[in-house]
Amino acid sequence: MAAAVQIETVNITINDIEIAVPKGELIVEAVKRLGLEIPIFCYHPRMKPVGMCRMCIVEVGFKQPDGTVRKMPKPQAACTLPASEGMAVYTDTEMVHRDRKGVLEFLLINHPLDCPICDRGGECPLQNNTLFYGPSTSRYVELKRHAPKAFPLSKYVTLDLERCIQCGRCVRFTEEISGDSELAFRFRGANMQPSTFELRDFESKFSGNVIEICPVGALTSAKYRFRARPWDLETKPAVCTVCSNGCNVWFDYRVGKMVRINGRTNEGVNEEWTCDKGKFGHEFYNSEDRLLTPLVREGDQLVPTDWARVYSDVIRAFANGGDKVAALGGAANSNEDVFMLNRLMTGIFGTKNLDHRFERNLVTGVGEKLGVSEVQSTIASLEDAPSMLVFGTSLADELPIVFLRVRKAWFKNGAKVVVAHHAPTDADSFAEVILRYKEGTEAAVASGLLSLLVSAGKAQVPAATADAIKPFTPEHVEQLSGVPAEKLRVAAELLEGAPIITTRSMYNQASGVDALEALAGLAMVTNGKFNCYSLQANAEGATLLGTKEGMHTHQILNAAAAGELKALWLVNVDPFALYPDRELVQQALENVEFLAVQGTVASEAMHYASVVLPQCAPAEMDGTYTNVERRVQRMRPVLKPKGSTKPGWNIFSEIAVRLRPATPFFNPGEVMAEIAKENPAFEGATYDKLPAEGFVIR
Amino acid sequence: MAERKLLFEHTHDPAFRTLDGYKATGGYQALEKAIKMDRQAVIDEVKASGLRGRGGAGFPTWIKWNGIPKDKKTTHYVLCNADEGEPGTFKDKQLMETCPFLLVEGMTIAGHATNADQGFIYIRGEFIDAARALRSAIDEAYAAGLLGKNIMGTGWNFDLDIHLGAGSYECGEESALMSSLMGERGMPRLKFPHAPLPTVAGLWERPTLINNVETYCCAPFIIKNGGEWYASLGASTKNSRGTKIFSVSGHVNKPGNFEIEFGTPLKELLEMAGGVKGGKLKACVPGGSSVPIITAEDVDRAIIGYEEMSEVKSMVGSGGCMFLNEHTCIVTFIWRTALFYANESCGKCTPCREGTRWMLQILDRIRRGNGQKGDIELLKDICSQIDGRSFCGLGDAAAWPVAAALRVFPHEFEYFIENGKSMVESEPTLAMAP
Ligand SMILES: Cc1cc2nc3c(=O)[nH]c(=O)nc-3n(C[C@H](O)[C@H](O)[C@H](O)COP(=O)(O)O)c2cc1C
Ligand code: SF4
Ligand code: SF4
Ligand code: FES
Repeated sequence: MAAAVQIETVNITINDIEIAVPKGELIVEAVKRLGLEIPIFCYHPRMKPVGMCRMCIVEVGFKQPDGTVRKMPKPQAACTLPASEGMAVYTDTEMVHRDRKGVLEFLLINHPLDCPICDRGGECPLQNNTLFYGPSTSRYVELKRHAPKAFPLSKYVTLDLERCIQCGRCVRFTEEISGDSELAFRFRGANMQPSTFELRDFESKFSGNVIEICPVGALTSAKYRFRARPWDLETKPAVCTVCSNGCNVWFDYRVGKMVRINGRTNEGVNEEWTCDKGKFGHEFYNSEDRLLTPLVREGDQLVPTDWARVYSDVIRAFANGGDKVAALGGAANSNEDVFMLNRLMTGIFGTKNLDHRFERNLVTGVGEKLGVSEVQSTIASLEDAPSMLVFGTSLADELPIVFLRVRKAWFKNGAKVVVAHHAPTDADSFAEVILRYKEGTEAAVASGLLSLLVSAGKAQVPAATADAIKPFTPEHVEQLSGVPAEKLRVAAELLEGAPIITTRSMYNQASGVDALEALAGLAMVTNGKFNCYSLQANAEGATLLGTKEGMHTHQILNAAAAGELKALWLVNVDPFALYPDRELVQQALENVEFLAVQGTVASEAMHYASVVLPQCAPAEMDGTYTNVERRVQRMRPVLKPKGSTKPGWNIFSEIAVRLRPATPFFNPGEVMAEIAKENPAFEGATYDKLPAEGFVIR
Repeated sequence: MAERKLLFEHTHDPAFRTLDGYKATGGYQALEKAIKMDRQAVIDEVKASGLRGRGGAGFPTWIKWNGIPKDKKTTHYVLCNADEGEPGTFKDKQLMETCPFLLVEGMTIAGHATNADQGFIYIRGEFIDAARALRSAIDEAYAAGLLGKNIMGTGWNFDLDIHLGAGSYECGEESALMSSLMGERGMPRLKFPHAPLPTVAGLWERPTLINNVETYCCAPFIIKNGGEWYASLGASTKNSRGTKIFSVSGHVNKPGNFEIEFGTPLKELLEMAGGVKGGKLKACVPGGSSVPIITAEDVDRAIIGYEEMSEVKSMVGSGGCMFLNEHTCIVTFIWRTALFYANESCGKCTPCREGTRWMLQILDRIRRGNGQKGDIELLKDICSQIDGRSFCGLGDAAAWPVAAALRVFPHEFEYFIENGKSMVESEPTLAMAP
């Protein structure tokens, strides 16, 4: 470890109070050290300051050698002013108060003041600043600027241009954070307005964020628009379960109905951002397709029944099933759920046929095979990596929040990013080198990179590996994959110590396993970090807590299709959506004698179900999820379980108790205590120890 | 005093626009001399000359030249502001059209003094003729080895290129000009102390020298004749040296550009332009539309000089001098000025974006006979809420003329508001309409 970096400080005064602050710290931040707040609009701490709105104006002077202070003739924007030695800042003078009033008066003259019907009303920075610093009446008697009231920028975002205060936050977000540069200002002066290019659709994977950072009600959510007033909402912290990133969010609900998802700050995970899939992807909570009661098959119909009935059916089909029964799924369930499922299947039904992984060739993970971890980088650590390899994934689609970090590493710290994929990806826009290969040649490209480093004498590999990769010279790789030899060489030069980012979807590729082995090897010879990130909300937890001994997904489906399985349990999973071979899935479901479908919403698999077990949605129960970087995060119940739905762990434990009477677990906290007893890695995740920002399993 | 033609000595000689003709009058002797001089010696000569920026602010030129890092670590740029957007100003246009080599040589001298690699001339988009003249001058200079590789056999390389703007006054503001040149929206950038000076981090974050056309055009004379000689011009003033070109327009008999020595009385400039046309003199905007308006009495006593003009509460500015006769309605004149600034505000900052539009609306209402009590105080307040609060100088430039007119000619506004019509009997509205 290098010695702690000494931060150079400077001595400044704020309202005549002396304080030392880091040199160059923006005054708008420095005043917070004294518990002061400077009103702002355009400033956003995660984006470059621009000084547009002039709300943050302060008086500034400099200490002279004789001890007096010489004030600058003009007031200064605090959000762009870096602290320097001898600076004297005044936030509370007559001039400052007059100027704040002036800026607010200007901002309000063209504002429609339709607060009573505005989504932002009640949580609006413009309202708040006006209340504290603004004029009480307007002197404006001219015609206000008019514009369309509800202009659809995209299917998610609606622009009310009249409310816009031209702060540029939305424009800068797309330039600096999401990087799609979808928004820009057009026209000038009083007519300046944020817009997409030629009014095309606002096509961004992160568009929802601009709704939150807009300091007024100009950017509104097409889905939330006019649905509630902020003071009618109840808000609880939650974790997004749409993908494996585990973004921290706020769930806003009203009379028991989910109405809005906002980003919640977790510096380790999503900072404060969300992706559109997550922000707008929780509609299933209120969906008509929610499963509310247990169902049982009568002829070609599923009819409502009670839990006792489905429990006894399941027990009849599975008890003492041994190798003839199996369960699939669980990657979207909580740690507590999958642990209890595992116990029920192995301990009580006596089968190890249990798999949550639907990637075609994922039998034994490459990490397990090579004895290395498949998750070696935390999301936050990517930010400081000087270079990275993003391999075989459209990262912005598969892992949006990891994508934002990789982009930030480039944008803020100049990281050199090598992007290898068979199709164009969003990361191409900032890639140092793009390796565009023919689909199916992943292994050749990965082996080519490894081969280059080994032949350059950078590292030793076992003789067998050396022989295996030897043929993959850059020229040969070019022939196979279409990646120019020169590009491969340039890329290889950048990989020393680089995190390698790929995802489990690589296992769906024909040469995926070989590619992953080469990438893991690459990480070893470059002292890099191998990451084959998971994709479902708790795939990582299911991997850590699952069994690896019985049949895997592929075998289970084949056995079922061949009529060799007596009973199959689909746990919160739609195999039609996840498994690449649709036909096999269909045959399997048709030919298995008894099919139990457990889930939150209706799915295609239900056509074949013998019984349906309705499980409550994540925010309706207590539980933990292990995200892409193995961070265990707790989601507390936000809403009541709908209908007679139950948490997964509860279903499994109630069945277990019927067969083997014992004291059941009464809450997921007890389950986690049990998990930690069996898996010491989870020790830090027991409910009394788990910190608010989650616990990362190392 | 009369005209003192230094830069404009050969403005009417078409041969001066060719390299041969330019050299025949002593052109490029200055560069030849400068290039053999130590860089610092060149800068010291500019310092001795007392030259101040001709783009409007009158900032000492040598301080900028001296601010470029002496130890060269990266590309250095020399940038010429040829956007000349200030209403009433058209001197750079004539300079570029008729004396293009003066600018090219001046920038090359500046390039040598600052160890630059590349120069750009950012030309106002409408100035097609100026761009053509410069293009051909630059091509000739390249062919003669006066630009490009190994200039005059010294081993020093310096490229010069032109760029045409796209019709925005704001792009004459130096930092917005750089944004525009770099392909961004023409909006100003953070300034010292919020960001490093352009001499340290300008174009593409590299050391950049930016001066006005006229400023660069002075350099050959300073080097050829020495800074001390240059400083002898205008010696009667407090701190303004050399000559200054004024673009005289408005109600005068002989509008045009006039080059005078600093220290010349303003009324002599009026005489050079053939005196007032169509009536008695009422007012003057001496330095471009943004500088404060002055009365006829002030014109009588004003001496042209950066400090001297503040005696009459106005400025030399960019030298766009407009004389207005007694039939001019000041309210209408200021409305037209306000219309210009409202149109040209880039929209970046609140005070200018909202304030210029508001002022225009009020002035428009007054002009249409619907002025109301309190309008004058409101206008004054708006001016003070813009002046010094905006992001860049355009906001200030929009507020000053209004504030000055309210101060100098309050009765004209009061009359218009009270009576719903101008106190000037004429058809000014039509004459002033855009
Ligand atoms: C709104 C605005 C417009 C300007 N337009 C011009 C212009 O057209 N030409 C120019 O030389 N300077 C213009 N300036 C001044 C420049 O910002 C800058 O001061 C000048 O280029 C410096 O050159 P100098 O030191 O040689 O005067 C403008 C300034 C502002 C605030
Ligand atoms: S839409 Fe909102 S965020 Fe965008 S510029 Fe307008 S006020 Fe700012
Ligand atoms: S003062 Fe503000 S709005 Fe006006 S031109 Fe400058 S930055 Fe743009
Ligand atoms: S917050 Fe500082 S100018 Fe907008």
